[in-house]
Amino acid sequence: MFDQLEILSMARGLATHSAARQSVVAQNLAQADTAGYKARDLASFGESYRASSGLALRSTRAGHIADSTPPPALRPHVERGIDGDPNGNTVSIESQMVKSAEIRTQHEMALSVYRTTLGILRTTLGRR
Amino acid sequence: MSDLLSSFSVSASGMAAQSSRLRHVSENIANADTPGYHRKLTPFREVMQGGRMTGEVEAAPVRLDDTELPEVFDPSHPMADEAGFYRGSNVDLVIEIADAREAQRSYEANLKMFDQARQMTRSLLEILRK
Repeated sequence: MFDQLEILSMARGLATHSAARQSVVAQNLAQADTAGYKARDLASFGESYRASSGLALRSTRAGHIADSTPPPALRPHVERGIDGDPNGNTVSIESQMVKSAEIRTQHEMALSVYRTTLGILRTTLGRR
Repeated sequence: MSDLLSSFSVSASGMAAQSSRLRHVSENIANADTPGYHRKLTPFREVMQGGRMTGEVEAAPVRLDDTELPEVFDPSHPMADEAGFYRGSNVDLVIEIADAREAQRSYEANLKMFDQARQMTRSLLEILRK
């Protein structure tokens, strides 16, 4: 009954997405002064949640090498249409900071939804 | 979770690269009056491991700025030639200070990302405590 709760998997998806996006933003900021680096970003959670990873390769035996690449929705793409520095770098520290604040909020939201859902389940089971 | 852990190492690599840049900037400033000194440049590059970009950054080997050294007129200088000129250094203090500011700004941005990844990890682990 509890193994397929949509709200839990959605909260987990949002937390995973914001963690992945945070790592992309951290990479952008680390490369903020690398000549020729193009800023990257992930698709928004709304777009990526429905795009399931149904086409991923599965390892059906212990000896198989697992497909370790992230699902297509969590693969970063190069941001287009930004005027960069003369050295070809398109990272803007300000916009990356705004993004990271957004990510923080999303992550908190995902965790709060998860925690509250667990609390409700716990209440239905009766307090001990 | 592994994404958050990898962003720790990415941010740490960014901070390390920026501080080595800051070190070269201070070497330049210290040698601003050394005759014949070429200023050092710190190019950055992405770290490649096993044929894949890891997202980390590193300071590539130092290059020297080969702009023409200015000729300074000082007949009393021990290195002056017959006409009274010697070669100074091509360090421009304004450029070095601007470079140091940029390094500081990027370092702070990396530090902020490190801190945010830490906070996100902590609130993730908080769920386990209930």
